Amino acid sequence: MSGGGPPRKRNFKIEAFKNRVELDPKYAERTWKVLEHAIHEIYNHNASGLSFEELYRSAYNMVLHKYGEKLYDGLQSTMTWRLKEISKSIEAAQGGLFLEELNAKWMDHNKALQMIRDILMYMDRTYVPTSHRTPVHELGLNLWRDHIIRSPMIHSRLVNTLLDLIKGERMGEVINRGLMRSITKMLMDLGPAVYQDDFEKLFLDVSASFYSVESQEFIECCDCGNYLKKAERRLNEEMERVSHYLDAGSEAKITSVVEKEMIANHMHRLVHMENSGLVNMLVDDRYEDLGRMYSLFRRVPDGLSTIRDVMTSYLRETGKQLVMDPESLKDPVEFVQRLLNEKDKHDKIISVAFGNDKTFQNALNSSFEYFINLNNRSPEFISLYVDDKLRKGLKGATEEDVEVIMDKVMMLFRYLQEKDVFEKYYKQHLAKRLLSGKTVSDDAERSMIVKLKTECGYQFTSKLEGMFTDMKTSQDTMQDFYAKKSEELGDGPTLDVHILTTGSWPTQPSPPCNLPTEILTVCEKFRAYYLGTHNGRRLTWQTNMGTADIKATFGKGQKHELNVSTYQMCVLMLFNNADGLTYKDIERDTEIPASDLKRCLQSLACVKGKNVLRKEPMSKDISEDDTFYFNDKFTSKLVKVKIGTVVAQKESEPEKQETRQRVEEDRKPQIEAAIVRIMKSRRVLDHNSIVAEVTKQLQARFLPNPVVIKKRIESLIEREFLERDKVDRKLYRYLA
Amino acid sequence: MCTPAAGRGRVRLNVGGRVFETTTATLASAGRDTMLGAMLDASWNASHDDAACGGGGSAAAEYFIDRDPACFAVLLDLLRTGGLHVPRGVPEATLYREALYYGLLDRVRAARLGDFDGDRLRLAASVPGCAPGDGTAVRAAPDGGCCVAHGGAVRVYNWMLEERRPVYYPGHAPVNDAAYLDAATLLVAARERPGRLGDDGGVAAFSALTGGLRHRFRVAHDRQPRSFTAGALTFDDGGCSFFASCKGRFNEYGIGVWDANTGEQADFFYEPPGCALGDADRLQWLDGTGTLMVATMFPRTDSSFISLLDFRDKSVVWSWSDVGTPASLEDKHAVHAVVMEDGRSVCVINQYDDLGFLDLRSSAGGVRWRSRSKLATSGKTKALVSEEVCYPKLATYGGQLFASTGDTVSVFSGPDHVLTSTLRGGQGGAICDFSIGGDRLFALHSEENVFDVWETPPPAII
Repeated sequence: MSGGGPPRKRNFKIEAFKNRVELDPKYAERTWKVLEHAIHEIYNHNASGLSFEELYRSAYNMVLHKYGEKLYDGLQSTMTWRLKEISKSIEAAQGGLFLEELNAKWMDHNKALQMIRDILMYMDRTYVPTSHRTPVHELGLNLWRDHIIRSPMIHSRLVNTLLDLIKGERMGEVINRGLMRSITKMLMDLGPAVYQDDFEKLFLDVSASFYSVESQEFIECCDCGNYLKKAERRLNEEMERVSHYLDAGSEAKITSVVEKEMIANHMHRLVHMENSGLVNMLVDDRYEDLGRMYSLFRRVPDGLSTIRDVMTSYLRETGKQLVMDPESLKDPVEFVQRLLNEKDKHDKIISVAFGNDKTFQNALNSSFEYFINLNNRSPEFISLYVDDKLRKGLKGATEEDVEVIMDKVMMLFRYLQEKDVFEKYYKQHLAKRLLSGKTVSDDAERSMIVKLKTECGYQFTSKLEGMFTDMKTSQDTMQDFYAKKSEELGDGPTLDVHILTTGSWPTQPSPPCNLPTEILTVCEKFRAYYLGTHNGRRLTWQTNMGTADIKATFGKGQKHELNVSTYQMCVLMLFNNADGLTYKDIERDTEIPASDLKRCLQSLACVKGKNVLRKEPMSKDISEDDTFYFNDKFTSKLVKVKIGTVVAQKESEPEKQETRQRVEEDRKPQIEAAIVRIMKSRRVLDHNSIVAEVTKQLQARFLPNPVVIKKRIESLIEREFLERDKVDRKLYRYLA
Repeated sequence: MCTPAAGRGRVRLNVGGRVFETTTATLASAGRDTMLGAMLDASWNASHDDAACGGGGSAAAEYFIDRDPACFAVLLDLLRTGGLHVPRGVPEATLYREALYYGLLDRVRAARLGDFDGDRLRLAASVPGCAPGDGTAVRAAPDGGCCVAHGGAVRVYNWMLEERRPVYYPGHAPVNDAAYLDAATLLVAARERPGRLGDDGGVAAFSALTGGLRHRFRVAHDRQPRSFTAGALTFDDGGCSFFASCKGRFNEYGIGVWDANTGEQADFFYEPPGCALGDADRLQWLDGTGTLMVATMFPRTDSSFISLLDFRDKSVVWSWSDVGTPASLEDKHAVHAVVMEDGRSVCVINQYDDLGFLDLRSSAGGVRWRSRSKLATSGKTKALVSEEVCYPKLATYGGQLFASTGDTVSVFSGPDHVLTSTLRGGQGGAICDFSIGGDRLFALHSEENVFDVWETPPPAII
């Protein structure tokens, strides 16, 4: 671009650079000296004479002029030199001053590092990322770690000092927690790895051996409750220690060490400790100790299952003794009451001490289920307990109390495997209550039925409900009968008929006895009335279940009202026409079945205070040669005399057998129905699967016996509902 | 504590001869991590305290800073108001340099770039390239920079659009795709060339700052390391691992997965029969379902194939292909695909700029083409096809759908994807690729290698 332009223009000549522009070669060295001096001054606490702006600009210039590497390396070596000096002074510190000195120097280093990083900020931003060097702050920490913490003279001394102090505190000494906190924080600041590798690991090892020794001492001299108290205190101490001067991440680790050494390693010994172990705690209701055991054991693997196993076996053992104890079998009400008490006791333990833990509740339930079903009279007894409560036990109790008792009974009911047996008994007992008018509260009865219904479904209670309906319709029918036929009846005895639907009631067919003519006429009128209003029905008299109130006048003219059974009434009525009758006469005239007649005569003649008949010869038992006379001399303080039939409240052995047999009989169609249901949907199934399915379907009501199921299958094959597979004999086929 | 001008908190700064007065609070708002913040920190002012307090305490201390006062005025204004106003006569490059000196460059960047909004974009710059051939891809960096891949090099620009040292794949292997792992790390996928031995092609990580090679990612089949061609790249949602479509020399086709932290191969999804994976043009990770979309598009293959892969049980959970479509449909082919942000559908575009949608929730849908998407340039396409083929591309960002067609980027908004903006830049012809990131949109033109930078200006004050 030279010369030759139009003359008006000025000409410039631009020359190429002759020399490369070079910085003063000593510039970098000089600048670094300034910065190095500043770094020393900062470490010497002498920064007040330094100008930040100037230093910042110097560092900037060095980086700008490509002396970044020199700057960085210089920083590294200067800082290393300073830290070596510092490590000497820390090493020189004596005894207790060691930690103080370390902490003080750490504070100094931090502050200096901050200021150095301020000066070198530009380098940190530009040179460091492009050349992949460590940023200044991190570099300072790494150098501190390598030259101070991990220097051979300091490292072990530091760790031992820390561990000694912690040990001292465990033994009850007071230590400077603030200083401890600063030191552990320093280790954390240097990186979690430093804290973990250089301190925490050793801390955990030392703690483990400490607690291993201590727990051994404790367990030799303490009972279980006290040991647990001590363990709990140690655990809390360690957690407190972490919160005061260790990193929060250590909490889980140190607690797991304590848990392992103090609890897991001694778990079985603690639970089975003599005179103070788990079983004793359960027996004595020591809620506080149990709660502590639960909260400590839940921290260790298998802890709770250990408690649970011991509790379960204890429950099964005591429960088994309870239900097998011949003493307790004497009184069914007491028997059930004891079961309920046992349940209440352990429910309370679980809710107070075991935090309502579901697994414990399940263990309790399974234990009860186990031992209640050991005694096959349990269903009967539970029904009897309800019977007792509903007959008399509820007088004065509020509705809520009744509900509570019923709910508890239902809980026991749930454990029963043979629910159908319970149903049988309940039906019998309910029938007796209803017919004898002994039931105290209709509401309570109905609420019990509702509970059974929710538990077992409609089918289970439909017959029980039918009984209630019968009672109601009977009442209505009787009112109607008397309203329409009162003139016709005139002055005859009052009749109260309960019309029982066949099938709903536990009736046994019994041959009707000969009723006295007065009664018979009324009965016939009722029959005519009833069949007249209801077409196509049949009435059968269940004379074995009725009662009667009769008026009797005795020798000295005193009158009594006698409350007797229908049979007894029939017998007594005979004495209106005769003073003495032989057994044979009575049997012939009344046609009462022999066993019933004997019982009935026994209660009329042999019970003291109620002997309206006299028997010859005098003896306790009725024989066929006895003669009976009207007892003129009968006296009683009461106007109304209730003459009960001699019946055991509990079933006698043959009766029990009979009930049992009836239950078995009732099960047959149910099992068959279940088999047919299953086969209808599956078409082909092997024997074992059928047994499993049937058991599953029926277990809400009872536990079917596999042998019985097999018999039912055979019967179904006979009746051509099923057939065996021709190839595989184990398979059954459904025949539509 | 007695700091300079304590009481009133006033500071006097002499910058290159010009005196500024401000408050400590304004300067401290820059942060302790900046030159001004450090300068006022108590640790550097112990002596001033003594002097000031001893000398009556009323005189505000004066700091001298040996820098350009004009730029300082702009930066002080930035600290005071949060807004960046650059007067004429202050070159941007100078301002950025000064901001770097004070440690305020991040503040400047934040003030410079508003939050990305596709409908308020403004052409900020057209950067001429100096690549010899056509660029293949442009990728936006998370900090507002970008890179342009072409042939054997990737040219890297920082957010100030200054070019850094380019990245060369070892052996100058041709680059297929690039992706930013973070602002300082760039992944590059390169093609293996026939006739070369072993160590060619594949995926490698480079420093975006210096262009230096950091790590090469390997693929092993049956524990034997093998060379391969890497096609498209993408990351999973956490950025912990990344995926690349891979073609090995011995028919080892599939999708490779690497751990971005350790650099080790984490998994390999071998191409099942009937699926095209190893040749894929485009990969996209679906956050919601944890699956990867793989799209192999026309014209690389004769027909387009899109699938969703689940790496947890190595299954193809959804796939679509236009293989069976009758040829009578004017030979339309999906040429690019993107999963919509709700993760329920895939948007595709054909060579005639029609948008279509595929439902990801059913396998049997087929493409619902939008009836003649009235793209702004639909009239021009015919002409362009004859000149130079630049197939349209798609992207989603912030609920909007972007499509490049011809020399224009169209912006669609709302659930029905209504066309709301068209971006047409300077010279450079058709757009062959575009990318959105770091609050910017970069569009690479096929001619001249120019790329346009679109930014959202800061919102109006009132």
